Amino acid sequence: MTFNQALRLTSILLAAVSFIGLTLGSGLPAWLAMLTGGGLIVVLLRQCAAGALKHLASHVSFSPAGWNLLVIVGFLGFWMDMLWVSGELLPAGIHFLMILMVIKLFNLRLRRDYLHLYAISLVAILASGSLTTDLWYLPIFLLYLVAGVWTLILFQITKSSEDADALPITGQSLQPGLLGRVTPQLFWLANGLALVCFGMTLAIFFTIPRISAGFYQKGFGENIRTSGFSETVNLGAIGPIKRDPSIVMRVEVPRHALHAVDRFYVRGVSFDQYDGKSWTNRLGYRRNLSEESPGMFIIRGHQGPAPSRLGDAIQQNILLEPLDTSVLFAAPFVENIRGTFPAVQSDFAGSVYLPFPSSSRIEYSVVSRSHPVLPADLRSEPTVYPESFTKHFLQIPYTSERIGKLAEDMTRLQRSPYEKAHAIQTFLIRNYRYSLDAPLAGVDRPLEEFLFFRKTGYCEHYATAMVIMLRTVGIPARLVTGFLATEWNEYGSYYVVRQQDAHAWVEVHLPHSGWVMMDPTPPSGEPAGDVYPAWRALERILDNVKLQWSRFFVQYSAADQLAVVRELKAGGRSVGHKALDSMATLFSPIMRLLGGIPDYVFPSTRRPQGSIWGLIVVACIILFGLSVRRIVARAFLDKKIPHEDHRIVDLYKQMIKRLADKGIAKTAATTPLEFVHIARVRWGEANLAVASITELYCRARFGGIPLTDEELGTAEDGLRQLTILGRP
Amino acid sequence: MNATPTIPDILENIARVIKGKPHVIEMSVVALLARGHLLLEDVPGVGKTTLAHSLARSLDCSFKRIQFTSDLLPSDIVGVSIFNRQKQAFEFMPGPIFANIVLADEINRTTPKTQSSLLEAMSEAQISFDNKTYPLSQPFMVIATQNPAEYHGTFPLPESQLDRFLMRLRIGYPAPEEERKVLERPQSLHPAEELCPLLTAHDVVGLQDQVDTVRMEESITDYLLAIVQSTRESDLLSLGVSTRGALALSRAAKALSFVRGRTYCLPDDVKELAPIVLSHRIMVARAQGSRQRSSEQAEQIIQDLVDSVPVPI
Repeated sequence: MTFNQALRLTSILLAAVSFIGLTLGSGLPAWLAMLTGGGLIVVLLRQCAAGALKHLASHVSFSPAGWNLLVIVGFLGFWMDMLWVSGELLPAGIHFLMILMVIKLFNLRLRRDYLHLYAISLVAILASGSLTTDLWYLPIFLLYLVAGVWTLILFQITKSSEDADALPITGQSLQPGLLGRVTPQLFWLANGLALVCFGMTLAIFFTIPRISAGFYQKGFGENIRTSGFSETVNLGAIGPIKRDPSIVMRVEVPRHALHAVDRFYVRGVSFDQYDGKSWTNRLGYRRNLSEESPGMFIIRGHQGPAPSRLGDAIQQNILLEPLDTSVLFAAPFVENIRGTFPAVQSDFAGSVYLPFPSSSRIEYSVVSRSHPVLPADLRSEPTVYPESFTKHFLQIPYTSERIGKLAEDMTRLQRSPYEKAHAIQTFLIRNYRYSLDAPLAGVDRPLEEFLFFRKTGYCEHYATAMVIMLRTVGIPARLVTGFLATEWNEYGSYYVVRQQDAHAWVEVHLPHSGWVMMDPTPPSGEPAGDVYPAWRALERILDNVKLQWSRFFVQYSAADQLAVVRELKAGGRSVGHKALDSMATLFSPIMRLLGGIPDYVFPSTRRPQGSIWGLIVVACIILFGLSVRRIVARAFLDKKIPHEDHRIVDLYKQMIKRLADKGIAKTAATTPLEFVHIARVRWGEANLAVASITELYCRARFGGIPLTDEELGTAEDGLRQLTILGRP
Repeated sequence: MNATPTIPDILENIARVIKGKPHVIEMSVVALLARGHLLLEDVPGVGKTTLAHSLARSLDCSFKRIQFTSDLLPSDIVGVSIFNRQKQAFEFMPGPIFANIVLADEINRTTPKTQSSLLEAMSEAQISFDNKTYPLSQPFMVIATQNPAEYHGTFPLPESQLDRFLMRLRIGYPAPEEERKVLERPQSLHPAEELCPLLTAHDVVGLQDQVDTVRMEESITDYLLAIVQSTRESDLLSLGVSTRGALALSRAAKALSFVRGRTYCLPDDVKELAPIVLSHRIMVARAQGSRQRSSEQAEQIIQDLVDSVPVPI
């Protein structure tokens, strides 16, 4: 392929990559995407296709005046777009840019045109970067980088060779060997350069503090609408979102702390007052939490038992999608919370809030402690609570005899509050059917409807019923909304929490244990669609990659960078380590999946460590890729040298290397026959082999006379002989 | 074509007269097959004339010798018009240039005017006289000898004319034992006369055509151009090699490959020929004043340049 052809091709590729970036970032309307895509295809066909297709493609053109007219129309369209259609500069600008790009693609004549095209594609790829923070941008950007390096190198080469042709006296200032074709050296050089660029970009990304992060990051994509976390929640509010699979958060739990919890509760807000149709949080007064150290907030003094009787601490890392609520979710009950927040608030029921909802993803870590039921509570007598307490947690909207009777019936045999609560929970789980198709919202008294007539409902109904029944028998209780996470991602060791995991449950106050969690809702009965377990696994891997991408690239903040710099200064872990760690985390799921392959292949036999297998598989893939690339490079980049020539040239190079190892070096300016002479003088025994290899090499390489297999064999024998022979 | 005499036979034939100079003989045959002209430069008495003579004798070609002196006129080379009484018209009498091989002995002893009369003949292989053009017979080769320019009573050849010689050879003194053989040989006034011709003019033209078919791989062309380019960029030279020089090197390399029995060029051919094909086409920058003779100095510079140009692999 000549340089000029290659330049045209890479230029088109550059434009195509930026176009793909914009399309994926949904920055283009469909008609414009079709138009630009069509233009790219036509130009590509013109460049690469043969025969009729090429002929056809080369007919798509206008006169110069037509093109100029098109530019003017496009420009007018841009103003109309900005003023009336899109109403904003960025989208209108992008649309105009694509039209300009199509026009330029069809008019690549002068060097100036190429430069214009590069500028357009650069702006386009930057714009697409501002449109998205998704993972797909990484490969696109990489592709753009490689194509860009290629294009600029080729542009410079063709430019200087043209300049040289223009000056008759100095002649070619370029080394003539470079003129003409894309050689394998250039191929590797360009790709190597692109990789180095990428590596340096990463290093800079991780070390140099950013001035402004994400200028365009606002306003694209709305916050996820949640329900159940505001001051007042209607009974049945959670129902409609129980079918929404969009991800709300990911809760990362340390791997070692994992004890096979397949139901992980993420607490949001609690409610104390029920008016017969909706729940209200009357204890919603929020106070600011004290900041112990920068970014570390501690919750003190909410009702609970003494620390010595608390359960295990649960460390969680939570990545919260932008929601329309300011609640900070965590496993119950939060002890301290760490995150880059200006302030964190909490109400008297232990719910944690931000001052206002966040419009972007936030990440924070929480330490929680569960409240187990203490043995003392198993047989304890009911206690008398102060009025300030009963006012909230023993409140009943109206006295309903049926409910009172039912509750009494359930708990007559039990004495301790815990046993009573447990009896009610068991009753609800056993006797009611879980169903999302329970439109109780319009009913006058939904609770009675649920308990005595329909007997089907979902979490909110169960929880409300349990709270009211408990309160009827004098046990303080409250309703809690949050999420029940069941989707465990074993590759990233985190729970994926979706809208459909929204849940409501009950907290019962026991005299000794304090607030204890109880859930009267039976399992939904719908088995998770485990039809394609492999597909599910792949989904989880992808999700993990997305999470790590978000954490290490999108969310990577100035503070993180400062931390890296600090570590550098302190002589601690090097940047390389941190970068490597990020990479390792990013790719570890893939490694683990590959490591899992032997599990399927040899399920019963003893097998080596999974990661070793993974490494082997990856190495094989890389080797295969390299060899394919070599073949491709040979076949396409340097067509003029036939294949068997390469063989003898390789042999010749090996011969030179062997001789160099023996101290007989060939300088760049030494010709083949001169080298034979040098070798003969310095190492007489090798003369025969050297002379025969050189002769075959010269014949094939310069004479263009193909060698027979026999002759190649002779050359290989000669090479082997050189190894056997002793030192000169 | 007469297949019996081969290139080695010719070389051997000439070597019977010129002792101990196989390289010079080979190069003169290369010049012949490359359709080039040869400039032999050396001190008097080392066999320049004999070499030219023997080459001519080995071929069954017409041979003329012109002894250049300071009073030689262009018409002494090209020919004159004589009035023919019977035909009542001027008639062109061809001069000694109308031969296959012309030996221009001591070319730098004559005036530039006479020297330049050789010019057209050498480059175009034709003579224009009285508005008429007379083609020269093929093969046509000028072998010029000259004493080094430093010697008294010489007119240095103009650059344009030097450029028209394919190569400039220096013969040099023979090795002592070779010189002894020369002395011990039965004395004869014209040793070259004893040689018998091996090739006809027709054969020579055929061989020249075959040289044209020698393959020069692209990378070798690049290598050759890199060498030429290096002479243009060198600080030691005030004038680099022209495109005609590059062409000459290419043709000479092909001829050398052919002489050595190959159908393709090697980088070796180019590298070996570069000093003798290029050295007379360059001008050494004045600052390079040294006691070395300028031709030797030029060859040395070219050799150094060639030693710095990477050879394609």
